[in-house]
Amino acid sequence: MAGQTILEAKNIYKSFSGVPVLQDVHFEVKAGEVHALMGENGAGKSTLIKIITGVYSKDEGQIYWEGQPVEINTYQDCQKLGVACIYQELSVIPPLTVAQNVFLGREPRKGKIIDYKKMNEMTQELIDKYQFPLKPTTVVENLGIGQRQLIEILKGLSQNSKLLIMDEPTASLSGKEAEMLFKIIQTLRSEGVSIIYISHRLEEVYMLSDRLTILRDGKNAAVLEKDEIIPAKVIETMIGKVVDESAGSKKMLHSDENAEVRLDVRNLTDKTDRYRNISFQVHRGEILGLGGLIGAGRTEVVRAIFGVDKAESGEVYLDGEKLECYPKASIKNGIGFVPEDRRNQGFIPLLSTTRNVALTNYDIVEKKGRAISDASELEMSKRAIEAIDIRPNDPDKQVGVMSGGNQQKVVLGKWLMRDLKLLIVDEPTAGIDVGAKDEIYGILEDLAKQGVAVIVVTSDLQELLRVSHRILVMRKGDIVKEFKNVEVTQSMVLAAGQGVEEEA
Amino acid sequence: MKQLNQTTMRRLISIGMLLILVILFTILAGAGHGKFFNFDNLIEVVRDASVPAIIGVGVTYIIITAGIDLSTGSMMALVGMTMANIYAYTLLPFPVMILAGMIVGLLCGYANGVIVAKFNVPEFIATLATMSIFRALTYIIAIKDANGVIKSQPMNHSHYTWLGGGIGKFYYVIMAMIIVVVFGQIVLKYTRYGTNLYSVGASKKAATLSGIDVAKTRLVAYMITGGLVAIGAVFTTARLQSATTAIGMDFEFSPIASAVVGGVALSGGSGDVIGTLIGALFMSTLENGIRKLSINTAFQYVIKGAIIIGVVIFDATYKTRMDRKAKEEGAKEGLE
Repeated sequence: MAGQTILEAKNIYKSFSGVPVLQDVHFEVKAGEVHALMGENGAGKSTLIKIITGVYSKDEGQIYWEGQPVEINTYQDCQKLGVACIYQELSVIPPLTVAQNVFLGREPRKGKIIDYKKMNEMTQELIDKYQFPLKPTTVVENLGIGQRQLIEILKGLSQNSKLLIMDEPTASLSGKEAEMLFKIIQTLRSEGVSIIYISHRLEEVYMLSDRLTILRDGKNAAVLEKDEIIPAKVIETMIGKVVDESAGSKKMLHSDENAEVRLDVRNLTDKTDRYRNISFQVHRGEILGLGGLIGAGRTEVVRAIFGVDKAESGEVYLDGEKLECYPKASIKNGIGFVPEDRRNQGFIPLLSTTRNVALTNYDIVEKKGRAISDASELEMSKRAIEAIDIRPNDPDKQVGVMSGGNQQKVVLGKWLMRDLKLLIVDEPTAGIDVGAKDEIYGILEDLAKQGVAVIVVTSDLQELLRVSHRILVMRKGDIVKEFKNVEVTQSMVLAAGQGVEEEA
Repeated sequence: MKQLNQTTMRRLISIGMLLILVILFTILAGAGHGKFFNFDNLIEVVRDASVPAIIGVGVTYIIITAGIDLSTGSMMALVGMTMANIYAYTLLPFPVMILAGMIVGLLCGYANGVIVAKFNVPEFIATLATMSIFRALTYIIAIKDANGVIKSQPMNHSHYTWLGGGIGKFYYVIMAMIIVVVFGQIVLKYTRYGTNLYSVGASKKAATLSGIDVAKTRLVAYMITGGLVAIGAVFTTARLQSATTAIGMDFEFSPIASAVVGGVALSGGSGDVIGTLIGALFMSTLENGIRKLSINTAFQYVIKGAIIIGVVIFDATYKTRMDRKAKEEGAKEGLE
């Protein structure tokens, strides 16, 4: 079925502000094949796709289309070649109708006037062909996320493309809608259309793909033919076998069941169903790792516990007392929160270390009347700098210009100045160098020794195994697996997060 | 489960608001000759709404792209004063004078558009700055008497002032307004340009990915507004039969107010020209009724301001609610 090579990307290099994201990557798609692209978060899948579609420019390398070298500088360039991309982030326009969205920028016209009748008919034809539950004249703002995703897919299909790129197309589809999509993919393949299929969901990849390219740390890890696509092998390749045998990929978990319960979360449920009926406990001195794929609902759960977003229902108890969940109360109750998006939510880049540390602690900084005492503010920041070795150790240094690791230390430092009972850290070491990572793990471990309960949300499996005493894995808004007091491997956690049961 | 479309719902609300206001003033200020509710007065209301509605078409386009134009009032003064200079110092025929006014309007709009769309200066600041610049230019080119004191320039030649009148009570400015509104609505709803305006306002990123030239779309919206401001300036000077530096003092406010009352969301991506027309009628009804009730006119600005704040708050909460509902429904489907 698969024919000649339609798209080939050779020796692709790309780095962002000095950090290499893609190194010497090869990627090749044949006519009429479904080619899956997999890799852990941050392996470089999205970057590769954005280079192919002209959203990013590559540093080095060459892309060939049907054997000819091509330059793709804008998304329009790639559309002209016959490539359509269904992006993960929705790009539908809510105030327009389904038909207007499908034909946006390509509307059929009579003179200058858009021929709505024809446009709606053409859309209806497409809808009939693929049997989508949509109507051409519905205004998109009245539709749910799943249906919006279908419009996105329809838009890709309407362009009669030779190559269709689907980035996590099932992320917001229901089971029924996803099955519809799988059927369409098979129809398209039989019509000779090539598909690049990016998904975290292994079962979909096994079912659909003819070939599979795996990226790891921005490099090619493997290209597997259909009969080589075996769950264990795929997971192994994604994580990297070499790493698997070294320290940090296996771990004996040891949580102290007898320790006093610090945090007790009961039936936490989201308004928009990003998580439901979440119940778990964290003990004194325990580091609980929260694993799973991006979008599994982990960040949403911890944000609700801290009270940044309100949960629809459920209760949170700290040391047996029921909590009012909103940030000001949480801080007072001894909860610290290190958010995922450090730069936008963790600290104020333009302010100094002193000001950043003081910001959450104005209730405990000494005051002269109503005014903050500069001396006491400075004394506090010096303590923070000393306690966790923030560099440069200048309290007046703007945090925005410091390295990622030290920025994160400032964020942690401001919580260390308080009497903490619970510390929640979300992706604590994203974009931080190895040395600083270890220091941050050290800080978390010290806190645990002092009796603080710690929740670590992380997509980095190595990190999850490194710091956790116990691990909960979330998938699609549910806690699906608990690992405690057992020997656990990265593959086991990954398999649980992706919904593939694997024999340990 | 068939629910009323958000847009239709919003239209009904603005029509309802207008009707309630008319009924309210009819009760308070009465019907019949010299009172509020009579043919002559209602025509007057429409006449007063015409220039804000004309400019409002352009402002609607801009707000749909999630932009704003605060400079329309000053722009109107500058156009008026340009024409007054030609009127006072040359013997050029009136069509040439009007053409010159149009060109100045388009240039002003082009300047706004370039600053906003090419140099990415936030709309609010950009047009706040040009508002000041256009007004200052008006003073610089203002007609002065022998002592160098700025004076009002009469523009009362009958070949020009007929534009301020009409066929009986059917004023030319109302005709012009109807043409501009109908044409504006057609462009908005039935051309690619109109669709592009909505797309740019809803998501610049998605619009770019769909091959829409976002900068050009925005630039053209500002130019259209400039052109329409010039048309508004022609009718206003013809009606007043003079040009002063104070012309257009209220004309940055009223087109925006009309659009907002008519359901053009300041966050972009929604609303239309017909909505703005309803909004303009609402604002001029309000003004007229307050005058008829002999309430201190200063109060009308308090009331207008309060109404706009109320409408924006309403729209924001309403939108949040509808969006959440859509999300929840989407989530429910996902559970199947």
